[in-house]
This record gives sequence, structure tokens and C-alpha cells, in this order.
Amino acid sequence: MTAARLLALLTSLAMPLAAQAGGARGGDRLAGHVPPATLPALDSMVEEAARAGLPTEPLIQKALEGVAKGVAPDRLVAAVGASAARLRSARALLRSDGAARPSDPAEVMAVAAALSRGISPQQVARLSAALPGEPTGPALHAVADLVGHGFAEDSSVDLVLAGAQLGLRGLRFLDVAAAAVRELQRGGSHAAALAHVRALLPHVPVPPGPAPAAVSRARRVQPSQRP
Amino acid sequence: MTHIDPLVHRVLDGDLPAETLTAAQREQLEALQVAARTLAAGPTSSVADRVMAEVRRTPVAPPGVGTRALQWLAERHAVTISFRPAWGLALAVALAAIAIIPSRGPAPALGEQEGIAQFLGRFPGARSVEVVGSFTDWQPGAVVLRDEYHDGIWRGTIVLPVGQHEYMFVVDGERWVTDPLAGRYVDDGFGRMNALLFVRPLAP
Amino acid sequence: MNSPPVLSAAERDISDPDVVARVLDGDVDAFGILVGRYEAGLLRYATRMLRSPDAAADAVAEGLVRAYRHLRSCRDPSRLKTWLYRIVGNRCRSHLVRRSASDVPLEDAPPLLDRADTEAEVERAEQLALVERALQRLTPEQREAFVLKHVEGMSYDEMAEATGERIPTLKMRVHRARAALLDALKEYP
Repeated sequence: MTAARLLALLTSLAMPLAAQAGGARGGDRLAGHVPPATLPALDSMVEEAARAGLPTEPLIQKALEGVAKGVAPDRLVAAVGASAARLRSARALLRSDGAARPSDPAEVMAVAAALSRGISPQQVARLSAALPGEPTGPALHAVADLVGHGFAEDSSVDLVLAGAQLGLRGLRFLDVAAAAVRELQRGGSHAAALAHVRALLPHVPVPPGPAPAAVSRARRVQPSQRP
Repeated sequence: MTHIDPLVHRVLDGDLPAETLTAAQREQLEALQVAARTLAAGPTSSVADRVMAEVRRTPVAPPGVGTRALQWLAERHAVTISFRPAWGLALAVALAAIAIIPSRGPAPALGEQEGIAQFLGRFPGARSVEVVGSFTDWQPGAVVLRDEYHDGIWRGTIVLPVGQHEYMFVVDGERWVTDPLAGRYVDDGFGRMNALLFVRPLAP
Repeated sequence: MNSPPVLSAAERDISDPDVVARVLDGDVDAFGILVGRYEAGLLRYATRMLRSPDAAADAVAEGLVRAYRHLRSCRDPSRLKTWLYRIVGNRCRSHLVRRSASDVPLEDAPPLLDRADTEAEVERAEQLALVERALQRLTPEQREAFVLKHVEGMSYDEMAEATGERIPTLKMRVHRARAALLDALKEYP
């Protein structure tokens, strides 16, 4: 795999769906799916995000999700507004850290996702600074995975950065987190799990791929069933 | 930490009969006994063939004549153990049984930025189980799991773009359930937790 | 892995010291009696320690081969059982240090069940998973002590031989393991 293709692959890890501001108008996607009374507010939020150069797909997704889950209209609008605010915060954070690509939609969405998973802006900044010019999504999610299992945030970032210094990138950060979580599940303390995985770096185990039988059974999501 | 009465410890250590315990103490006793019984459900497989193949490959030499003579004088008679050809046969069968299981059909042609997502949930008595998420624009009907063997275990495997996806199960068209096996979650902003899934590229 | 070999009546009746004597006399196949006699318990013990049937099989197979090679160093063949558990326990501890990817459950994918699984089997598996999760909350020493005492049914004397620890230490670990296990089981619905 060429470096360019690998970079494209890693960039896609933050959000597989199209996230460009130049995509379909939010109103077009939402009309007929959201309560009519909410459409003006939602459309306005999507348009405002598009004008600000923020990715709009997460907002459209959040609106569709809320409708599917039967959420009350005011709560729907509030949740989409919160998502928009998170995107703005993410971009502001990237800009203030001097990130190479502060407006890259994938980067903005990755940072917003990390913030929503409870990673502090300070630690997001640390990771972003340590991986200049590179997609930070996998590293951020690896940290969030560790924090979700009770590891201290700064120690989690230390571990991921230790992996980065030894050449790990992309999905391998998730493998680092998985290795530490497995060690924890085996009965070790958090400190012991971190130390153990640090000693393994960069050779943390790669999870095995799906069995051929599973691959042959796989079906595609029916495009006609998508809006 | 739960306090366990010293009497319960003594019963579990075999020093006292269980009849000496009160009802509340018996509850603790039984919980631990159930846990132990559950753990005692051991593996049904064996490493015998593997071990015997290895020891036969490099058997340890018996002691020298002098040592053997002394041992014979000291030992009582032992039952003669005849060679067990069945072990050798079992080993041959085991080796012959190692075969590549053919795939059930041609695999779907996956793009470079596509991978496989496998879903599994236990919903006995359910009439339908779907996966609804970011990859379906949160619309139902796109990813329907199947209880193929009518055992209450609903399964499905789909092709997804590489990257991050959020989803929930929807049972019987109305009950939204967070996947308990996902291991990674995010607040959906509506009071529930979405499962987070990372799909890896299938090709290295 | 195959099914465990079935021992004949004669094989079941012969004592450990007698089997050891035959093996040391050059009867390699006699070692199969010891394997058949102890592998189930050793596999069970190793599986609880390593939380992986594959890793447990490796640890037990390595331990038994090692036991064969060093059978002469077993000073008291009447206590062969605890000697074997000690060897396999050491292998388990080595495995915990150097484990491989194929031994561990994949975090990003749900566990897959075989076609033959029934609801009852899944229920049993869930119950076992619940207890195993609680067991993993113990320290490795507490977990080992609980498994040897209450799953393998060893006396404290046997446990002392198998682990090299003093009986008061083992009793403390078992008592703490019991309390910690009850705590952990309470947390799960």
C-alpha cells in the first residue's frame, strides 16, 4: 500500500461518510424525516455550520438519529445544537494548538468525538501536537478507550504517544489500548497493565481478521433502504 | 468489602458442617459454592496426544544398570503397562483432522476502504432484531439480523466502510438496546449510549 | 484438541509412585497414565488463570512435557499431583508475561458462537462469563488460591506444596478471594 493510499485510509477513520461542507443541503436530507416544526431550526444550524466551514454530516446524522429514536422535538433540536457546539469547540481547539489542518473535516470530527467521549482539551492538544500533520482520530479513540476502562487520562496519552514514538500509527493505536485493557482484564492493576504494554511496544498484538466463512456471509447494507 | 462471617470461612475450609450456619450465612456459602461449581465446568478437550508425541520424540534415558539394580531391589512389583497403540492412532487421526475448512462461497469483493462488521445479540423470544446506526442513516430495515438456528441468538455480518460507526440494536421494531458486547460506547445525547465500532480494512 | 483418553481400570488403579517408577525405568508410554489422570484438572486450573483455552492448553502441555523431562527431580512421587500443579502454575505465570494475540478475545468484535450453540448453552456460557468476570477482579494470587481450593479441591497442605506459599498466607488469600468474589458478583445484574 502506497503512503498516499495509507494516508487516505487513515484519514477516513474519523468518519466514513462524506463530511464535506459542500455536500447535499441539510434541509434536503432532513425534509420528510424530521418533524416539520423542527426543520427550520435544524436547517439553520446545518447551514450555519456549512458557512463556517464545519462538517455538516454529524449534525444531519444526529437529527436523523433523534427522529429514529422518537425524541421530542425540542430535545432533538438541542442535541443537534450541542453537536454543532462540539464541532465548533473542536475546530477552535485545533486552531489554538496550531494544528496543521485545523479545518480538515475528518480532524474536526475526530476531535469532537474525543471531546464527547470525555477526553479533556488539554490532552487532545497534547496528542495533536505530538502528531503534527497526521490524523489524530485513532490516537484519540485509543485514549478514550483506555479512559473508559479506568486508566488515568494523562497516563493513557503517555502510552499512546510512546507507541507513536516507536512508529505506531492509525489503527495500531487502538491495538495499544486493547492490549492494556486485556492486561487489566487478566487481573493486573492499571499501572501494571500500562507498564506491561509499554514494554511490548511497538509489538502489541494485532487482532486476527474475520474468518473466511464470515467474510463470505457478509452482506452489503441495501442502498435502496437508505434515505 | 463484603464481610464474611468466620463461621462461613470455617465451613468452606471444611472445619465445620454447613448446618452450623444461619440462613444469611448460608446465602454467602451457596453463592460461593455456585461460583465454584460454575468454574468447575472444565474443558472437554485434551492435550494428551500433543504431550505424548513430544515425550516420545525425545524420551529420557532410563538409569544405568547399577542404578536399575538398586531400584529393583528396593521396589515392589508394579503392574506391567503395555504399549497403547491407540494413542499413536489418536495422534494420526488428530493430524489428519487438521484441514482447511473451505469457505461457504465466494467472498464479496471488498474495496480497499471496506471491512467486515459482525453483530451478535441474545434476544430469546424476539420477533425481529435490527442494527440501526450511522451506516443506515439511523433508518431501520437496512441491517436485519437473523435467528438462523431458532436459539434466540441473532446474528449478521455486513460490509462497512473502514472507520468509526455508531449503532444500537432495535428489537421487535420498537425497543432500542445498547449492544452489551460492543466494549466501547458514546453518549447519544438523548439519554442512551450508542455502541462504537471500528471497522478495519480486510486487506492488509 | 482431541477428547481426553479413557483410562482402563488397571491404569486407574495404579498409584502415582508406581507409574513414575515405570516411566523412569524407560516406559515412556506409562507417562500417558499421568497425563490422562491430571490433564483435566490442570486444564481447568490453567484456563481460569489465563482466561484462554488455547493458552491454557499450551501451558499445560508445556508443563507436562517439562514434568516428564524432570520426573527424576520429583522427590516424593506420592505428591505428584501438587508437583504437577506447581509446574503448570509456573508455566501460567510465564504465559501471563508473554501472551500472544491469538489467545485473547478480540475487543472490537462480539464473541461468535458455533452453529451448535443452543439457548441453554448460551445461558451457561453467560453464567460462566459472569463468574469469570468476577474472578478477574481478584488479584492473580487470590484467583489462584480460590481456584486451587474451591475448584481443584485441594487441601491447604496440597496448596502449599503446589504454590510454595505458607498455609497462613494461602488461607488469607482464599478468605480475601471469597469476599472479593462476593463483592464482584453483587455488582453484576
